[in-house]
Amino acid sequence: MADISRRGLVGVLAAAGVPITAAAGAAAARLRDGARIGWPSDVPSWDPQFRFVPDAQPIYKMVFDQPLDQDARQALVPGLVTAWEMAADGLSLEVELRDGVVFHDGSPMTSADFRWSFLERIRAGHKVDTAHSWRKVVAIETPSATRAVMRFASPAPTAPAWLAFLGSFVVPKAYMERVGLDGFGAKPVGTGPYRLVDYQANARIVLECHEAYWGPRPSLRRITVEIIRDGAARVAAVQSGQVDLTVAVPVREVQRLDGMAALSAELNAITRVTLLQVRHDAGFADPNIRLAAHHAIDKVALSRVFTNEVGVPLSVPATPGTAGFLDGFTFPHDPNIAIELLARSGHSVAAPARIRMATTRGQFPGDYDMARAIVAMWRTVGIEAALEVIEFARYFALNRGNRLPEATLYSFDNATGDPEIGAGTLLNPLLPFSPWKDMALGQKVLDLVDAAGEPDEVARIAAWRAVTREAVETGACMPLLQSVQTVVRRKALSYRPYGNGWVLPQTMDWI
Amino acid sequence: MNLVAMFARRVLVAGATLLMASVLLFAALRVLPGDPAAMPVLPADATAEEVEEVRRARGFDRSLPAEYAAWLGGVLSGDFGRSEHLGRPVAALLAEAVPATVELALVAMAIAAVLGLSGGVLLFVLRAEGGRAEGRAAISEIGTTLLLSVPEFLWAVLFILVFGVALEALPFTGRLDADVARPVVSGFLLLDTLLVGDVAAFLSAARHMVLPALALGVVVAPPVMRVLRAALVDVYRSDYIHQARLRGLSETRVLLGYALHNAALPMLPVLGVQFGFLVGGSLLVEVLFAYPGMGALMVGAVRNGDLPVIQGAGLVYCALVLTVGSLLGARLVPR
Repeated sequence: MADISRRGLVGVLAAAGVPITAAAGAAAARLRDGARIGWPSDVPSWDPQFRFVPDAQPIYKMVFDQPLDQDARQALVPGLVTAWEMAADGLSLEVELRDGVVFHDGSPMTSADFRWSFLERIRAGHKVDTAHSWRKVVAIETPSATRAVMRFASPAPTAPAWLAFLGSFVVPKAYMERVGLDGFGAKPVGTGPYRLVDYQANARIVLECHEAYWGPRPSLRRITVEIIRDGAARVAAVQSGQVDLTVAVPVREVQRLDGMAALSAELNAITRVTLLQVRHDAGFADPNIRLAAHHAIDKVALSRVFTNEVGVPLSVPATPGTAGFLDGFTFPHDPNIAIELLARSGHSVAAPARIRMATTRGQFPGDYDMARAIVAMWRTVGIEAALEVIEFARYFALNRGNRLPEATLYSFDNATGDPEIGAGTLLNPLLPFSPWKDMALGQKVLDLVDAAGEPDEVARIAAWRAVTREAVETGACMPLLQSVQTVVRRKALSYRPYGNGWVLPQTMDWI
Repeated sequence: MNLVAMFARRVLVAGATLLMASVLLFAALRVLPGDPAAMPVLPADATAEEVEEVRRARGFDRSLPAEYAAWLGGVLSGDFGRSEHLGRPVAALLAEAVPATVELALVAMAIAAVLGLSGGVLLFVLRAEGGRAEGRAAISEIGTTLLLSVPEFLWAVLFILVFGVALEALPFTGRLDADVARPVVSGFLLLDTLLVGDVAAFLSAARHMVLPALALGVVVAPPVMRVLRAALVDVYRSDYIHQARLRGLSETRVLLGYALHNAALPMLPVLGVQFGFLVGGSLLVEVLFAYPGMGALMVGAVRNGDLPVIQGAGLVYCALVLTVGSLLGARLVPR
């Protein structure tokens, strides 16, 4: 028997061919004329107007172009539209389209495609999210192949901002009509700097340079986007060289990865706002409790712990440098004020006010831990919050069913910085998205939305700023921090950081 | 019972099980708090009227049984509905994901069978006999218990860290290297690369398959090892083994040439049962390895509240497990 254990077993195991030694030589060979990107999520569809998904925007921007673009500091710059002029009454927008632009199939981009993208396909019944952002459009006139005039049912001062925002891409009318929606989804055609050459859902996206691109030719000819949903797996992938750049890694990993010889890791503050969505009723019906809850939150500490002090503590739901931001206005962190407000309503640490709070876990960096920290801060002043973890999709379901708890941690994206798109969405009582339904403040928001034709842009912004401030001072909105984005890349791979969080391969190069 | 009757009985049982699973799946998703019509099928600035329109259009305003009947009718005719989040037919999404997962599961099962076979023989050889070699037996027992105790996702993390990050020996994201073109024939990538004669792509796909399949296979192997060891102990009490020894055959030949053949049969139903655990475990493993199969589809659907995909994928999972369990548990083992 002893003989078997020594000799026979070697034979059995050898026959079994234990596959540990399967292969050597990792797939770390870098492609100097390309790059591999580790991205946390797939596109919902290759129709770029189908769904508003901020994380998909950089991928769409490789294949498609927007009428207007944003520079790294969110200023509007020409894209497919080279010049634009909004009428004084806000009822029309005239645009000059770039000449000589061709789609990936070689067909020219004209005003007919513009009209199709922002009016005709919506009227044709395509279920696209842009049907909402462009619902005011009643006509698009196309006096020439390079000129178009958008006409609105009511004033639309934010139209230029929307032309550079989510979903606003130009898609080819003739091709889309010829192949249909499913055909377009299977083989999309845009005017962007890259064309799609292979796509496997939930796995990888392979793109190659669009040779006839109208703009600067990208330095990297081939881009492979690997969809890696798990944050730890993305860290491992970039650390082992299996991808060259990745985003949305845990904040705590940034310092460690940045210390590695081959890698560079960064925390970038972006235009998303981490805030608490607030109800006007239930445990938050009492304004003393709402305001106490806000005063009790130490945003500086949250920024230090969860963003390495990169995320700016906020008092309004807008980031510094954007139109909705209020310079000089601060909602103070003061536990003593919180205790005093709670005492007025008969609450204390011994007899706490009881509310519920919801948070996602892993939807944005540090969300769950941040929620737990807030609950702990509240406990010290006399607010006892029962914390519930919800999936991101459940957030929408509960929100639209008006069943969110008193407070919900959320990261709100408004890359345009326009307060009408920000506060006008967050606080509009008629939208299911807003859990704040009280009409005292709500009517003021609705009045501003209705009066969006304010010819004086300065006055329009000032009015929104005033309403936003009132919302914060009455506890209808609790902004916390500017959100941060984590980027880890090989040191030799350069990229251009954008304030709105875009990471665009067309700006990358090996150095 | 003849073969036809046995087969018919198996099909009936599997059908009834599948039906019950579909009822449970459907009911569980509908009784969860939240409004299915309010899932993110509309943008943030959708109005209450638009939510109601979605409710009517999707049939969420009907009674639960009526809704279930309509869904089941669609499934029976091959229509699993349309993904709310992706806007594509669920059947098309499943057709892309199922081959990837089945391929991974088959490779994992092969690894599990090889590990189970070799490990079972090792356990048998190291077993305590009349007080001898108790130390070795204890060590081997602890070894299999350890293998059993560590879940597949931890093996996955361990393999990624050791073979992927530390040694940089094997890839652990996706199914192919970035510079390798993907042949599309059947969706079974190993097979497709061979069909088109692309050896480089085959090797790339095989290398990408090693770590996820190993993470799944390692967990399935220990029960197989234990069953094989017990079967070998049993077989060694048989007269024909004594006869073989008396004829002077070497112990290696007795084990590999005579005992192993009969002792290996009980492994098959165990592998069938373990296949269910393996497919279930592939959910997390696929996510960790960024592997585009049913796991990735399911996790994405759950995150997005995509009910038609969750229902369709859940049902296909059940069908897969039932089919393989029935095949390995009954058809291949004549009892």
